[in-house]
Amino acid sequence: MQLKRKLTGALSFASCSLLGLPTAQAESQWDIETAVMYYSEKNRVTAIEPILGMKKELNDDEFLKLKFTLDSLTGASASGAVPSTQVQTFSTPSGNDTYDVAANETPLDPTFFDTRAQFSLGWDKPIKRTLRRNLGFNISKEYDFTSIAGNASWTWDTNLRNTSYTIGANIELDWIEPEGGAPLPLSSQDPGSSPPILRDGNSKQKQVYDLLFGVTQIIDRSSLVQFNMSLSLADGYLNDPYKLVSVVDSTAGPNEGEPVDQIYENRPDTRQRSALYSRYKKQLTNRDIFSISYRFMNDDWGIDSHTVDVSYRLRLNNGYFIQPGIRYYEQSAAHFYRYFLLDSDAIPETVTADYRLGELTTQTIGVKFGYSGNKNNNWSIRLERYTQSGESHPDVAIGQLVNQDLYPDVDATIIQFNYAFLW
Amino acid sequence: MASPCEVLIDSQDLALAHEIAACAVGEATRIEHKFSRYLDGNLIYQINHSPGEFVDLDAEADRLIAFAFQCYELSEGLFDITSGILQKIWRFDGKHPVPSQRQVDELLPFIGLDRISYDKKRLKLPEGMQIDLGGIGKEYAVDQITGLLRNQYKPGILINLGGDIAITGMRQSEEQWFIGIEDPDRSQQASSMLKMRRGAIATSGDANRYILHRGKRYGHILNPKTGWPVEGSPRSVTVGADTCTDAGIIATLAMLQGRYAEEFLERQGLKHHCHR
Repeated sequence: MQLKRKLTGALSFASCSLLGLPTAQAESQWDIETAVMYYSEKNRVTAIEPILGMKKELNDDEFLKLKFTLDSLTGASASGAVPSTQVQTFSTPSGNDTYDVAANETPLDPTFFDTRAQFSLGWDKPIKRTLRRNLGFNISKEYDFTSIAGNASWTWDTNLRNTSYTIGANIELDWIEPEGGAPLPLSSQDPGSSPPILRDGNSKQKQVYDLLFGVTQIIDRSSLVQFNMSLSLADGYLNDPYKLVSVVDSTAGPNEGEPVDQIYENRPDTRQRSALYSRYKKQLTNRDIFSISYRFMNDDWGIDSHTVDVSYRLRLNNGYFIQPGIRYYEQSAAHFYRYFLLDSDAIPETVTADYRLGELTTQTIGVKFGYSGNKNNNWSIRLERYTQSGESHPDVAIGQLVNQDLYPDVDATIIQFNYAFLW
Repeated sequence: MASPCEVLIDSQDLALAHEIAACAVGEATRIEHKFSRYLDGNLIYQINHSPGEFVDLDAEADRLIAFAFQCYELSEGLFDITSGILQKIWRFDGKHPVPSQRQVDELLPFIGLDRISYDKKRLKLPEGMQIDLGGIGKEYAVDQITGLLRNQYKPGILINLGGDIAITGMRQSEEQWFIGIEDPDRSQQASSMLKMRRGAIATSGDANRYILHRGKRYGHILNPKTGWPVEGSPRSVTVGADTCTDAGIIATLAMLQGRYAEEFLERQGLKHHCHR
């Protein structure tokens, strides 16, 4: 005999009387997470980043997430120019002022300070029993940079085999308004030259499109493995408007290798990237957790990179934990990366001396310690040491450059404090 | 309770875990002793052995009987605690034959909750009728234990009485509880996984108890109105709801919908899983 009515409302009311439960829905609270990160490169950039995250359950299994991030950066960053045996003078990014760099020192642009504010919103809800959808929106603003982005992803659980599939897409639009206007790529930045330095006062734009496919597979009660593949296309103004490439004297003699001109870099208008990521996570019988991941990235700028990340969380008594971890990263140089250009060569169409696009390796060693025993109140503190190095004495070095460090190491210390609570 | 029972406690404190377990076992035992129809002398025994006489109910028994009446009405008679006497003629162990229609007809006049008198916390059964709280007792016990533990203890606790499950709250790590649903064809192996953040789940059906009669497969949940099992029942139904009691009633009713089980469950708007 078919029952054609929906019984759950009346049934629920009846069982509340049976069990003595209040019939109102439980109050939902905000899950708040706060963090402050301090990042400091030796003699270079220092950043402080406070973050506030808020999460609330709207309906059964449906969540709203908000996040506010503030980044405050100060310090100096390598401009891409090479060191010289003489004092050098450079223009500041705005072109209105100059700064001097001592002999035999890596030129750093010392006017590097900026504050960035970012807000993101996420809405995560189940749309069918085994399908979840996540929609997100992101906006970010800095002195010379504005970005808005939207993303959507779907996760499908196939319960029978404890497998989840994810597909997602992200679109980002950026507006770049460099201080003093964007310099004409490959033009000279020599402050004494004439005709005057060419600048473009219009704002520059770029778009980034991302696509992601992922699979998460539960292997057994205590372990899982995850694979992701992502594709990314960036299109538009991809240059760093403040980075320079040195043109050096190629003539044999006392000035060989001395910079004779500094030009602004130029990168291609598009960048296609693809990445493969895999991760394995296992909880051991003593409740410690071991995690290892590997990522391979490849793009049409000639950069290939590998990242390996290993961490081990030791469960201590009473809800405390300690988690050491190491990460190793290496990348090959972009095909248009040069330590410097020779004045006897034609200037290539695309060229950069930005160390971040060069051949480099990094190691990060860190430890995290915290308390996760109580969901109403948990915290952690993280300390990491980051070292980046590259080829300081490449074979292409000539003249005085043979004695200079053309790829100085970057050392940084990172301290982060997290605190989460319910409100 | 005739099934494996366990309490999972998300805490590092062993002494606390022992205390919680003792509390849960205490409450489960108390409910079983009071409402089991296998124990002589308890309240149910008195009710079933006092034909034609009113028996007084305490507050808890009164709430359960009132609830049984409400379910009887909501289910249009399909959920009926007086239908237990059918077990005299129906045994789903593969050894006993299917009863005859005459045997079923003989019992039908003694089934029907509307035939018993219930008012002012007193219950009177006519001669030949019995009540059996087996259909809600285990789920009720899960909810009672969950409520008791939730009020007194902070850690997330999962109570599992033979597949009827409720949680007091989330795990410390904020991860959900993962519950494997046994594959009827391969016992001890999970065929699918449910994730729970709150509430309860109950499973009705036992894939190993069924009858094949004249080439048709019948589940072991009996229809109180016909005295027969329902054709085309799923092998098991698992339902998620705020309380284990709700989940159990809906799961039982779903089994009784036979081949319309999925349609019924979709209409109820609760998370569910049917095994066929």
